Amino acid sequence: MLTIKNLKAGYFSGPDILHDVDIEVRPGEIVSLIGPNGAGKSTVLRSIFGQTDIRAGSIKFIETELVGLPTHSLINLGISFVPQGRQIFGTMTVHENLEMGAFTQKDKNLIKQNIEGIFKRFPILREKSNQNASNLSGGQQQILAIARALMQNPKLLLMDEPSLGLSPKAMHEIFEVIQEINKEGVMILIVEQNARAAVEISNRTYLLEMGKVALEGGSDILKDEKVKKIYFGRD
Amino acid sequence: MFYQILVNGLIAGAIYALVAAGFSLIYSTVKFVHFAHGGVIALSAYMLYLFYSMLGLPFWLAAIVAILSGSIFGVAIDYFIYRPLRKRRASPTIILVASVSVLLLLESFNLIFFGADVKSINFLDIGTGLTLGPVIITSLQIFIVASSISLLILLFAFMKYTKMGKAMRAVADNKSVAEIVGISSERIYTWSFALGSLIAGFAAVLIALEQNIEPTMGTALMIKGFTASIIGGVESVAGGVLGAFLLGLAENLGIWWLPSSYKDAIAFVILFIFLLFRPEGILGVKKSNK
Repeated sequence: MLTIKNLKAGYFSGPDILHDVDIEVRPGEIVSLIGPNGAGKSTVLRSIFGQTDIRAGSIKFIETELVGLPTHSLINLGISFVPQGRQIFGTMTVHENLEMGAFTQKDKNLIKQNIEGIFKRFPILREKSNQNASNLSGGQQQILAIARALMQNPKLLLMDEPSLGLSPKAMHEIFEVIQEINKEGVMILIVEQNARAAVEISNRTYLLEMGKVALEGGSDILKDEKVKKIYFGRD
Repeated sequence: MFYQILVNGLIAGAIYALVAAGFSLIYSTVKFVHFAHGGVIALSAYMLYLFYSMLGLPFWLAAIVAILSGSIFGVAIDYFIYRPLRKRRASPTIILVASVSVLLLLESFNLIFFGADVKSINFLDIGTGLTLGPVIITSLQIFIVASSISLLILLFAFMKYTKMGKAMRAVADNKSVAEIVGISSERIYTWSFALGSLIAGFAAVLIALEQNIEPTMGTALMIKGFTASIIGGVESVAGGVLGAFLLGLAENLGIWWLPSSYKDAIAFVILFIFLLFRPEGILGVKKSNK
């Protein structure tokens, strides 16, 4: 379980972006963070991953305090991150991308087994296994980024705008994949600009505004006046 | 005559390729220009002089000491100069200035401890040329080309097939994702300096066998290595190697018509042409989507 308490964070010497954020992801949940541009959604994820300047508060995963840990050490706690914008190693092959996903894994047989599992789930990646990842289509690149994050069998998966820039069909596919992964017992914290799609697959949703949690709720959050105003124009 | 020029270009290229490969390898991961790389080469050449000519160690042992000391110097420069700057989030420009300062410092060091006069190693006799058809080449030159190419092949295999090589490519490609999958970029930087400077040490030994050792040799070599990297594409080791052989050929073709003192000018002209019209190099990709 992930518990964020009284988080205050920004970037380097810049102003505070998050003021006092409390967020929780409980076992088995998909939780989404929605909100207007600049509300600090991505900053929440990047704070978990040690890529911001944390000024106050705590971020706990199960029993471990994450604040102050270097980014590269989080993977061993069972936390994987799918960053914004189809972030893959474009100059490396699809297979090498997956291998890098298991960088900290020493057991070579387990790596092979995991890659085999990934190929079964996403046959397209097997097909393009020896091609440079930059040759994949946008949707395929996002699948590869998710597959790479799954290589370490994470307990918690953080996703930053997984549908950004994808075709409706590819987006639909990605959201199905997210639900499948969750059914296998992986907690998921997802930041999305496509609020409706995110809320529909989530157990709970937080609305972030100006670096603060403005609202928390289930799928009925879409009916809230505040959310309507932000996402669906003036009522 | 034409074949002789090709061969001379190949010999020059083999040396430039080692300079450029080490430089590009470091640049590809750390993303700043490590001009002091030339200083590491010069210092390693002096180490060979110190251990072989002055202290009388057997040549091969002295060569190994010189190569390893290259690696140690490179890692030390990173650890004591660049890393503190990175911690303070210094811009690549600041680090570039620091790197030029280190290069000048190393040259002064060479001057103080070994003097301004040129040194030579005199391990192999350079004079005896072998005639192979239309071409005259010394056995030392054959040795230089063969060992340079072998080392480059080893380097490519390392980058392609080992876990460390792949991790270096991953950091070179996308540092923040590399961190996310658990690769410590600081550790990879250290490895890049160790490996890149090991190649610098190797280059130093070959250069010391063929040419004189002098305090400012590092700057001269770095200009060639840097030009080669720009020609080929500074972000890739393969680009640097390709650029190095092209530069070697271009220089030697150029002095077919021009006096040989124009050699360095040819390199600069090529450097400017590429910086103006194709700054990403032959193998480079234009950065528009990042």
